[in-house]
Amino acid sequence: MASVSIKNVWKYYGETAAVKDLNLEVLNGEFLCVLGPSGCGKSSSLRMLAGLEHISSGDIHFGDRRVNDLPPKERDIAMVFENYALYPHKTVFDNIGNALKLRKVDPNTIQQKVERAAEMLEIKHLLQRKPMELSGGQKQRVAIGRAIVREPELFLFDEPIAHLDAKLRAHMRGELKILQRKLGTTMVYVTHDQMEALSMADRVAVMHEGVLQQYGTPQEIYHKPVNAWVAGFVGEPPMNFLDCELVQENDAIQLKHSTFSVSLLPEQASIINSAKLERKVQLAIRPDEIHINGKQSAESIKAEVKITEPLGGDMLVDTTVGKEKVLVKTKPDFTASMGEECFLSFDKQRWHVFSSETGLAFF
Amino acid sequence: MQTTLTNGIADGQLTNAAKLANVSEDQFRMSNGVRVIDYQPTSRHAAPSNRYYLWLILPAVIVLACITLYPFFWLIWMSFHKVDVLKGDVWNNFANWRRLLGDRSFGNGWLLLLKYSAMCMLMEVGLGVLLAVILNRSKYEKVLVTLFLMPMMMAPVVAGLVWYYLYNSTFGWYHWLMQSAGILGEKSILGDTGTAMWGIVLVDVWQWTPLIILITLAGMKRVPRDQLEASMVDGAGEWRNFFQITLPNLYPFLLIAILLRFMDNFRFIDAILVLTGGGPANSTKILPTYLFDVSFQFFKLGRGAAIALTLLFVTIILGLILVKVFESPAGKVNQEGS
Repeated sequence: MASVSIKNVWKYYGETAAVKDLNLEVLNGEFLCVLGPSGCGKSSSLRMLAGLEHISSGDIHFGDRRVNDLPPKERDIAMVFENYALYPHKTVFDNIGNALKLRKVDPNTIQQKVERAAEMLEIKHLLQRKPMELSGGQKQRVAIGRAIVREPELFLFDEPIAHLDAKLRAHMRGELKILQRKLGTTMVYVTHDQMEALSMADRVAVMHEGVLQQYGTPQEIYHKPVNAWVAGFVGEPPMNFLDCELVQENDAIQLKHSTFSVSLLPEQASIINSAKLERKVQLAIRPDEIHINGKQSAESIKAEVKITEPLGGDMLVDTTVGKEKVLVKTKPDFTASMGEECFLSFDKQRWHVFSSETGLAFF
Repeated sequence: MQTTLTNGIADGQLTNAAKLANVSEDQFRMSNGVRVIDYQPTSRHAAPSNRYYLWLILPAVIVLACITLYPFFWLIWMSFHKVDVLKGDVWNNFANWRRLLGDRSFGNGWLLLLKYSAMCMLMEVGLGVLLAVILNRSKYEKVLVTLFLMPMMMAPVVAGLVWYYLYNSTFGWYHWLMQSAGILGEKSILGDTGTAMWGIVLVDVWQWTPLIILITLAGMKRVPRDQLEASMVDGAGEWRNFFQITLPNLYPFLLIAILLRFMDNFRFIDAILVLTGGGPANSTKILPTYLFDVSFQFFKLGRGAAIALTLLFVTIILGLILVKVFESPAGKVNQEGS
C-alpha cells in the first residue's frame, strides 16, 4: 500500500496538452475517483500512473518512490481496463494467475491465491472456462480478480463497469466499495459517471479539459462546487442557472433577475461585500432545493409550468421563469397542468452564486 | 347484399367467419358476396424463380466446365490408360498407379517436395514475423512495406532467371561474394548437390517472405492494445509480451499464411525449371518437376496424370484444412474484448 503524489504533471500529445499541471495527493488506503467527461484527461492521468503513458513533465511518487521512469511491471500496480482486456486464449484461472506466474510464485501458492480471489468474487465455478464463454459481468469480475490477486500497492480502475447494464452497475458500485475497504489498498478509479464517483469515493477529483477543477470529498463536490462548471456537471438532474445582477438595496444585497428580485442572506451578503461588488452573476440552485407552490408567499417567484414528469418517488416539473427554464424536483402528489401559474421559493442556504466572468463561486 | 369484403381476406378468416355463421364456406361466400382474390404477386419486384437464376449462371458454368471439369475428368481417364495420341488410349489395368508404388523418383520427389516446403516455410515464417515486428515499430512502415512487397510482384520465372545469373559460377554476384568469403570453395551454388536445394529455397524465401510479412503485419494491427497493456501491468517484459499476447493473437493469421504457402509450393515449378531443372543428380527434383519430366519430357501422359492426381489430392486436403481453420474458433480473431 502506498500514498500517491502527483506534482505539476503535464501530458502533451504533440502540441495539444491533455493534462495541464495536475496536482493530486492520494492518502494511503484512500479511494479516489477521477471524474470528468470524455476527453478531460482523466484516462491519460491514470495511464501515466500505470506507466503506460510517458509523463511529459512533473513528478509522480508512490510513497517516497519516484516512479516517473519505471515501466509498469516495476511500479507494483494492478489495473482493470475498460474492456476488461482478458487474455482470450487463457482460462479464467490462468488469466487471474498470470501476474503471479510471471513473478515466479510457486504453483501451490498461485492455486491458493487464485481460488481465494475467485471465492471473494464468486467466480470459483468459472475458473476452467475461457473468457469467450463468460457474460459481461463475469468478465469484469475476472478482470478485478486479476488485479486483486497481486496484492499490489495501488489499484488503477479505468471505467471498469461502464459497459455493464444499469442494474448490474449499481450492484457492482456497492461491491467495489466493500472490496476496496476490505483490502484497504489505495485505489484510483476513473469514471465519467458521477453516481459512481459520489457513491464510492473517499475523495473525488473533477477534471475538465485537462485541468483539475476541484478535489474534495463527495459532499464538498456536491454541496460546495468551486465553480459553475463543477456545479453544472455534478448532480442529476442538473443544477438550474439563472442570469442575475447583484444590486445593493438599502442594507441588503439583492439578486436581480429580469423578472424577480431576491435578497441574499446576511452572511452571504458579507462575502459579496468583501469581494468586489460584481454586477453580472449566475444564480445556481439544484432542482430539489426549490419549493414549488400554487400560492404566492414572501419572496416567491412567479413561474409557469411547462410539463410534469412523474418519476415514481419524485416528480420533475419543468417551469419557465421569464424566458429561462427552471427544473424543479418535488413530491409526486404535486399536480399542475400545462401553462398553469406556480410560485417557486429557493432554499437560500443551499443556493450558489457564481461570477459570470470567471465562473468561480462566491459561495 | 354487400358487394365485396376485402381482397386480402385470408382463407382462415373466411373459414372462421363461415363457422360463426354456421354455414359452409361456399354458402358464406355466396350470401355475403365475398370475393376472394387468389392473389399471386407478379410484379417485377417479386423473387424470380430458380430457373431464372439457372439461366443466369449457366454461361459461367459452361466456361468453368470447359476449363476445369473437363480436363479434370480427362486427367482421371488418362491415369487409367496408356495414352497414345496416334493409336488412341488403351486401358492398362492400373499400370500407371502400380508403377508409382515402386517408383523411387516418385517417392524421392515427395520427400524433396516436403523438405523444400518445410525449409521454405520455416525461413519465411521466421523471417516474416521478425520483419513484421520490426516494421510494425518503424516510423517508415509504409515505405518499407512497399519496398518489401516488390519481389512478390515479379513473375516467378523472371525471379528464377535473375537469381540464376546471381548464382552463376563465372559472373554471378552471390557466387563471387560467397567465394570471396571463403564459404563456397571451388563449388558452384546450383551445381552442387549440397547447396542446390538451398539455392532454390532462397529464391522462394526472397520472393514470398513479403507475403508472410504482409499477413503478419495485418494481424499485428489487430492485436488488442489493452491486452498488451494488461500483460505489461501483470509484469511481462517485451519478450514475454510477444509470446503471451502477440503470438497467440497472430496464430490464425500465420496458420492461413502457412497453408497458403504450402498449397503454392506444391505446384511450384517455374523458378526451379529455370534454375536447376531438378539437378544436379536429381537433388532438387521435387515432385512437380518430376511430374513435368514424366509428362512433357518422356511423354508418359498416363503416368504423369496419376502423379498429378496424387498432388491434387494432397492439395485438396490442405485446402479443406484451410477452410476448417477459417471456420474454427481459433481462426476467428478477437472475439474477446468489448
